[in-house]
Amino acid sequence: MSLCQNRLQEERKQWRKDHPFGFYARPQKNAQGVLDLKIWECGIPGKEKTIWDGGLFKLVVTFPDEYPTKPPKCKFTPPLFHPNVYPSGTVCLSILNEEEAWKPAITIKQILLGVQDLLNDPNPESPAQAEAYNMFKRDRAQYERRIKQIVRENAAP
Amino acid sequence: MEQLPLPTSLAEVEELIRALYQPNPPETISRIQEVLHRLQRSPEGWQLAQSLIAHREDNIRFYAALTLIIKLNRDSAGLSEDDAKGLLGNIIGWTVQSLADGAGAFVTRKLCSALVTYFMHFSHLWPSCVRHVLYCLDIGRGTSVEGLDDALGADLLASRLDRPKLRVATWFATSFVEEVGKTDMSAAKYFDIHNRLVRNGPDVACLLARGFSPPSDNPEIKIEGEALACFQAWILYAQRASPNLELVTPLRQLVSPAMNCLADRDLFHAAAELFADVLSNYSTFFTDEHYEDLASLFESPWATQHYRRILHGNHDEDGIAFGLLMLAYGDARVQDLMHSTDGRAQRLLESLGGLLAANGYLVGEDAIFVPALEFWSTFAETMVDETYSDEAAAQTWRPYADQHLRTVVMNCWRKVQWPPADVFAEWDSTERVAFGDARKDVSDMLQSVFTLEGRSLVSFFADLFLRAQAAQSWPELEASAFCLGALSDCISDDATCDQELSKVFAPPFFHLLAQGESRIPLRLRQTGLALIERYCEYFERNAQHLPDALNLLFAAVGDSVLGGPSARSISTLCSSCRSILTGEAGAFIRHYQSLRATQVLDSLAEERVVLSIASIIQAIRDEGQRLDMFEELYTFLKKDFDLAVQLKAQPGLLNLSDPDFLRGLERPNAQSAPPADEIALQIALRSMRCLASMAKGMQDVKEHVVDLDSEPPSPHADSRLGRLQENIMHLLVEVQRAFSTSGEAVEIICNIFRAGFSETEPGPFVFPPEVVTSYFVQQRFETPRVGTLLSTACSFVGSLYRGPKVHVPAQLARLLPWVISILQALPEPEADTEISLNGIGFVDRVMSKHPEVLFHHNPHLLEFFFLFSIKVLDGSEPLPKGAAAEFWTNFLSLNTPPQSPLHATLAQAMTHLGPLLARSLVYNMGGHAARSELDKLSEPLKKLVVLRPEAARWLEDALLLGDGSGRGRAGTEGADGDGGGGGGFPGWERVGRAERGVFLRRVLGLRGARATNQVVREFWLACRGSSFAYAS
Repeated sequence: MSLCQNRLQEERKQWRKDHPFGFYARPQKNAQGVLDLKIWECGIPGKEKTIWDGGLFKLVVTFPDEYPTKPPKCKFTPPLFHPNVYPSGTVCLSILNEEEAWKPAITIKQILLGVQDLLNDPNPESPAQAEAYNMFKRDRAQYERRIKQIVRENAAP
Repeated sequence: MEQLPLPTSLAEVEELIRALYQPNPPETISRIQEVLHRLQRSPEGWQLAQSLIAHREDNIRFYAALTLIIKLNRDSAGLSEDDAKGLLGNIIGWTVQSLADGAGAFVTRKLCSALVTYFMHFSHLWPSCVRHVLYCLDIGRGTSVEGLDDALGADLLASRLDRPKLRVATWFATSFVEEVGKTDMSAAKYFDIHNRLVRNGPDVACLLARGFSPPSDNPEIKIEGEALACFQAWILYAQRASPNLELVTPLRQLVSPAMNCLADRDLFHAAAELFADVLSNYSTFFTDEHYEDLASLFESPWATQHYRRILHGNHDEDGIAFGLLMLAYGDARVQDLMHSTDGRAQRLLESLGGLLAANGYLVGEDAIFVPALEFWSTFAETMVDETYSDEAAAQTWRPYADQHLRTVVMNCWRKVQWPPADVFAEWDSTERVAFGDARKDVSDMLQSVFTLEGRSLVSFFADLFLRAQAAQSWPELEASAFCLGALSDCISDDATCDQELSKVFAPPFFHLLAQGESRIPLRLRQTGLALIERYCEYFERNAQHLPDALNLLFAAVGDSVLGGPSARSISTLCSSCRSILTGEAGAFIRHYQSLRATQVLDSLAEERVVLSIASIIQAIRDEGQRLDMFEELYTFLKKDFDLAVQLKAQPGLLNLSDPDFLRGLERPNAQSAPPADEIALQIALRSMRCLASMAKGMQDVKEHVVDLDSEPPSPHADSRLGRLQENIMHLLVEVQRAFSTSGEAVEIICNIFRAGFSETEPGPFVFPPEVVTSYFVQQRFETPRVGTLLSTACSFVGSLYRGPKVHVPAQLARLLPWVISILQALPEPEADTEISLNGIGFVDRVMSKHPEVLFHHNPHLLEFFFLFSIKVLDGSEPLPKGAAAEFWTNFLSLNTPPQSPLHATLAQAMTHLGPLLARSLVYNMGGHAARSELDKLSEPLKKLVVLRPEAARWLEDALLLGDGSGRGRAGTEGADGDGGGGGGFPGWERVGRAERGVFLRRVLGLRGARATNQVVREFWLACRGSSFAYAS
């Protein structure tokens, strides 16, 4: 089995054993119902006591063949209103960037927790979409109203 | 804080150490610590340790051992080889002595740590450290290494030690492997240390073998526990160092004695944890023989007893170590167990399946279920893999494995049943979440099982469902519905299981769900309604039940708990079954009407209901009928708008006993009602969101082919559709006028427009292009969310390009000056990134297909725009900057026939703009840009080099700019000063003329090739110097 597959098997095992509350992460199944370990469907809950509390956001994590040498790609589906999420839904986060802070030792759990942190703590240094970035910078009250609306639309069951 | 003076006598030092361990204020403690540290680090530290090490007080002795460690770590380089050898003899001697004169265990342990520290620094002087320690313990004093007789084997030495001495040796061996294990095995400087440690492995094995069957003296000293801990530490090390037979072989001999510890009540937990841990993480450590032994063990009466306690005992008090051990074994041997059809394997699998049926509720009482489910998920997935990889072989073992899966499924079904409400009410939030998570895990596992069992699994749950329904056993019925729901992703899109499902989705079920909460529990209704939603594709195929299902859902929309999910189910069903439901549109509108009349719906639920009805209306074929229904639904919303506008004008109208006004409150609580104009705004926004939902619902789900050369199919203004559109448009403008400061209103209007942009067939929200254009050009810079309007205008251009071409240029020609006027109103290019980004994006889109529209405009507007985009390029906002780089790339690539007037215009523009662009690019690449922007900025550079013969000169001028003559870049006079005086770019002082020349020659030489990006990156790094930080 390839390094990538091995590692993903192990990640799956570790996730099953120990995962943070309210999150989910599972490999997708292909047409025959067999797991495709390289595409995971995940759910990121908004952190308690933040404006994101109560929301659950779907994220698709795609692992390249070179994983864990190269980082996976995380994409919110549908795309999320957030300063560091590209209009396509892809998350812009230093630990997911090969040239920045990605390290092969970073686990799926750490990635998902990192994305959860990012929700309420956007990084204005690397904007990825103008709408959320602009509103975050210029009109915080409206930004927060908008987030609350989004949380309602994506309420955790 | 004033320092204490260094003590002048040993007695003073002792006093300080005593004070250190006395209750004292923190400042006193830290002052004492500080002075003692100074003393430890001083050359007298060695002497100090030696003088205090035999002290009668344990604390002082401990401090002396600590001082030794500190001295070894700090000053061992200063010791000669002879000194070091002497020191070793002393430390061992002190260790042996500490045992002999009854020092506290913590003192002796600290001395063992000091020995390990010694090894870390002088391993070459002490290769057989374990045997040497055993020897000295045996003779009762420290000796030099030379005194160690090679003829004395570790087994012999260990056999002579009593329990207290064995314990000390085991402490040493544990600390030894743990400390060495902390260093990097692959680092050259630790290479010898690790090698020497490995060579001590056989001696440790002798020691531990004795530890597992110790002599009979001092039976109160249980050293087997210490031996287990030590063994585990060595296995962990061996795993990291694997494969290393030199180490693994002696360690493996200890497995059997360690296994014997399982039967000892006091040692059971530690031993079970050791075995479970090694099975999970290092299963190859065990040999086939070990696995055999473990399997026999699981069949012993001892195991039966433990197993019963797991099933019926209290997990909180007894723990679940035995269950985890079984599961770890199962996990390590999963393939063998699956393939094996012998009795023993079958019995073990049966027991593992039984772990899913322990007493108590998930997860608070039954702690073994989740780990057991984890094993069975692995089992099911392995089965899938193995079945597909060798179907012939699978025929032998599949029947057995299937049988186990059936038990597992049944057990899971029982376990996911909700407890009675009073039990659930006592759970804390963690227990509740964990229960929900465990149910999710079960649903995952069921999906894997479905891959193997297919339809029979559906049939199984359908039977359980019907039985529970007949018996009115609600928890069982809920669990059956939940399990069927879990399978929906696997089967909903084909009809193979419809027969089974039709038994479930039958009148008794619909009748049951229609009952109020007094008859059936809320959770059952919830799961039942969710089941309908999950199988919406089934209802598409079996439309006869759709009305039943939807009526149920509509009845639940008003419920505070079920409302949200029901509305979501309605929208899923209506959207995908729209063409079957067209006849129900009227009935659903009346449902909506009666809901509105009786209560204030949750706003999100209402939006979903409106979307659902609109999606059915969209599918009505007859235009007249379609518009009738549309208008009927639209009229509700229009009344809301009218009310909102009236209330805004006359706040006195507010009447909070009227449900129409209550729609403007977040919670219908009249005590803390906000002012009337806020309520008016909320009424308007709420209805606008509903209107946007209508627009979304009206979107066609089918694709239509568009003839780009045809006449546009816009409705005549005096047609019914035309009048309706006019009415909607009027309403939008009116609401925006009345609530002119609301950014949300603008945002929703944009969403309504966007919903129409994607449509190719006429519809109420597919406005004629000139109407949309007229709306945009009336908006001013002061309009809230004007950036969003610009982004919507970009989408509009996209939709124009997808439609008939005829009127496109006219719309672009009207929009372009409007867009530029908004940019002109910006106090500075970076004041609003959304405006800059979308403004540049808009012009780029126009230029991409209709450059003639762009260049036939007022030259002043154009000049403004070009300079604006250069300023953005010089700025620091990544998003507009990226757009500007893309614009310039496209601008430079414009391909115009040489004889055309446009060609001449462009050439003329470039003589002025070329040098400015070159300066901006050099300014960025010379250190201003962020590293992540370089690739984007390299694109216009490449085009410049390839397509403009003057590029070499422009770039050279830019690179040499300001060498003593000041900056003078376009539009940045007096702006930031990160260049620091002269030079055309921030790093001008770091790169000399020669380097700049090399950069230019390489860029020119590459003629736009990809490698340019690398050259740019290197130049940028050189300009940034060493102060580069990534986040820049």
